[in-house]
Amino acid sequence: MALIEIAETSKLYGFGDATTLALDEVTLSVEKGEFVAVMGPSGSGKTTLLNLIGLLDQPTHGDYKLDGRLVSRLSSNQQAKLRRDYIGFVFQSFNLLSRLSVIDNVSLPLAYKGMPPVRRAKRASDILELVGMRDREYFMPHQLSSGQAQRAAIARALINKPRIIIADEPTGNLDSHDSKVVMELFAEIHRQGNTIMLVTHNPELTRYANRVLYMYDGMIVGDERTPIGYMAKHARRIYFKKLRTTDDDIAAGVSALLKDVPGQEITTKGQKRKPQGRKRGLKQKVSRSKR
Amino acid sequence: MWSGNLRNALSSLRQSRWRTTFTMLGIIIGVVSVVTIVSLGDGLKRQVSGQINQLGKNVLTVRPGTIDGKHKSISNLNLYSYLAPSTLSLQDVASIQNLPSIQAAAPIDFVSASATGDDGQFGDVFVAGTSPGLWDILHERAAYGSLFADDSSTDQQNNIAVIGSDIATKLYSALNPVGNSIKINGQSFTIYGVLPASAGSLLSVTGADLNSSVFIPESAAQNLTNNHSNILQIFAQTKPGANLDSSVKAIQQAVSTSHNGVNDFTVLKQNELLAVSDQLVGTVTSFMSGIAAIALVVGGIGIMNILLVSVSERTREIGIRKAIGATNRQILNQFLVEGLVLTVGGSVIGIGLAMLINLLLRLYSSWRPVVSLPIIILTVGISLAAGVLFSIAPALKAARKNPIDALRGE
Ligand SMILES: Nc1ncnc2c1ncn2[C@@H]1O[C@H](COP(=O)(O)OP(=O)(O)O)[C@@H](O)[C@H]1O
Ligand SMILES: [Mg+2]
Repeated sequence: MALIEIAETSKLYGFGDATTLALDEVTLSVEKGEFVAVMGPSGSGKTTLLNLIGLLDQPTHGDYKLDGRLVSRLSSNQQAKLRRDYIGFVFQSFNLLSRLSVIDNVSLPLAYKGMPPVRRAKRASDILELVGMRDREYFMPHQLSSGQAQRAAIARALINKPRIIIADEPTGNLDSHDSKVVMELFAEIHRQGNTIMLVTHNPELTRYANRVLYMYDGMIVGDERTPIGYMAKHARRIYFKKLRTTDDDIAAGVSALLKDVPGQEITTKGQKRKPQGRKRGLKQKVSRSKR
Repeated sequence: MWSGNLRNALSSLRQSRWRTTFTMLGIIIGVVSVVTIVSLGDGLKRQVSGQINQLGKNVLTVRPGTIDGKHKSISNLNLYSYLAPSTLSLQDVASIQNLPSIQAAAPIDFVSASATGDDGQFGDVFVAGTSPGLWDILHERAAYGSLFADDSSTDQQNNIAVIGSDIATKLYSALNPVGNSIKINGQSFTIYGVLPASAGSLLSVTGADLNSSVFIPESAAQNLTNNHSNILQIFAQTKPGANLDSSVKAIQQAVSTSHNGVNDFTVLKQNELLAVSDQLVGTVTSFMSGIAAIALVVGGIGIMNILLVSVSERTREIGIRKAIGATNRQILNQFLVEGLVLTVGGSVIGIGLAMLINLLLRLYSSWRPVVSLPIIILTVGISLAAGVLFSIAPALKAARKNPIDALRGE
């Protein structure tokens, strides 16, 4: 049984003329222990997909089974508890609470679980040791560098021993050195058997993943297994296919390019590519009227 | 969890120190005014009842106007009767004095509300004509000079006055102004004696204060007012051993006869006088505290306002907390605790300030406010209730935020 099972799930935002189809009947299953990198141009639905998996948001249509349990229609309180116990979030902008010290930030999920302060401080210290931040326990977030802040945020995501770690562009605000440190951390977490879903624009980072999802217009258009240590094939091909790249393209990485290469031949194992028929037209009409 | 919430609330309130201070100010003002007003009222009640008790049980009071039935309601009793002609006359004083069970009777005959002395005019004064019997009834001795004794002396001696201690200090600077003169309605009076400073005034029921009173012999008062007397009350002291109730009846009969059977006056025993004065003070106090309570409510609305602002400013924080597993309940508690800290803090500071004001009033004024535990408990209770009540809406708003919308918000 897969850890994450999403069946024909759609997500619509807004009403009437302003409706956006952010996810278009997506079907996906992720096994325990997979490190999944999600790529795709901006607006293709990556964040929406991760929010659904992380139970921050509910699908408009379709079912989501987490660890065999149907969770997409639970009450907001039950979902909050599942987020607390099953899921660790790492955000692009770190999202540490600015008024709390590093150790208080890291131990906050345990506080919401009702663990006594002394025990949760001990646990938080241990986790901070793991991410190499033990010596900055009592720093305030504004006293940290970006890399340190993201490591603290990862410690917070790990503290409840979650089943899934969801990282939405975690290196988006980091320089290449800090990115590497953070990605090595994810690699270590993955080696210990954790499941990770990571959104990135950087094809280099697919080296850490053993599976890459390519998204376009709310659909998963490619699903590639890739050995750890190697850049994913399709990501590399698309990246180098374009003759001329601008600085922006390089900064945005392969995801931006994906958008400029319509009909890119992404063959996938197991996953069939969606026929782009009527629904696609609807989506385009919708997004055009939005602009 | 609760201690965490508390720490959280304190740190977030510290972040916006000024806003916190001004928010608390509403509650502080409310608590200070309620506690101070009620304690002033309680103090006044005690003062008045202390003086009524000092009168002794054997002093009866005759007032113009009537009190309906057994309820002793103040509504019909003309407490500010010197604004309207009194129904009592000097003849009533004489007929009460002549009753066999009565030892002494003394009128309080209002003459004027201003007097002029060496150091200028004194507007806040109560000039009354009375008879020497008053001193015994009030148990007063002269602090300086002496109190006039006999009404049937020469005219020269009739133009004498006994003044309260406030008048002495304000009009003459010197503590002993005996022998100086004081002008009342253009006529000069020689100061004959000064009363000792008193804690307050029996006469406060009529709106006057013994310390700022000037007493002149009744005959002089008659001269000044062209025989238009305005008797606010008559004190009647019964002889030792005389039955109080039959004395009341005797007075009622005597006065009623000379009023052609019209019952346009009231005879009050000491305890009835107490009840009436308590009721008067109570009415004024509760009216004032009602106004002060509005300040408390306004303070509560201020808290709601600030919490609402705080909730929208911290949308992102709420989003993060929810993402890492805070339930709606836990977010709700966080903001409720913040509201409670504001109200509890405001109440504590308010009570501290009220205590300080109390002390200052006791030290530097003639007021004697009394802070009682029940009133503190009541005030704190009300402000806590207001705090919780007005925190609920913002806290609910925070708790119900959708996590992704909140995360997106800044
Ligand atoms: N809360 C929202 N309200 C309306 N539209 C939204 C909302 N969130 C996302 N969208 C739209 O859904 C689409 C997918 O967005 P998103 O999942 O954030 O894409 P990505 O993360 O791949 O950039 C976009 O067109 C975006 O504008
Ligand atoms: Mg995104």
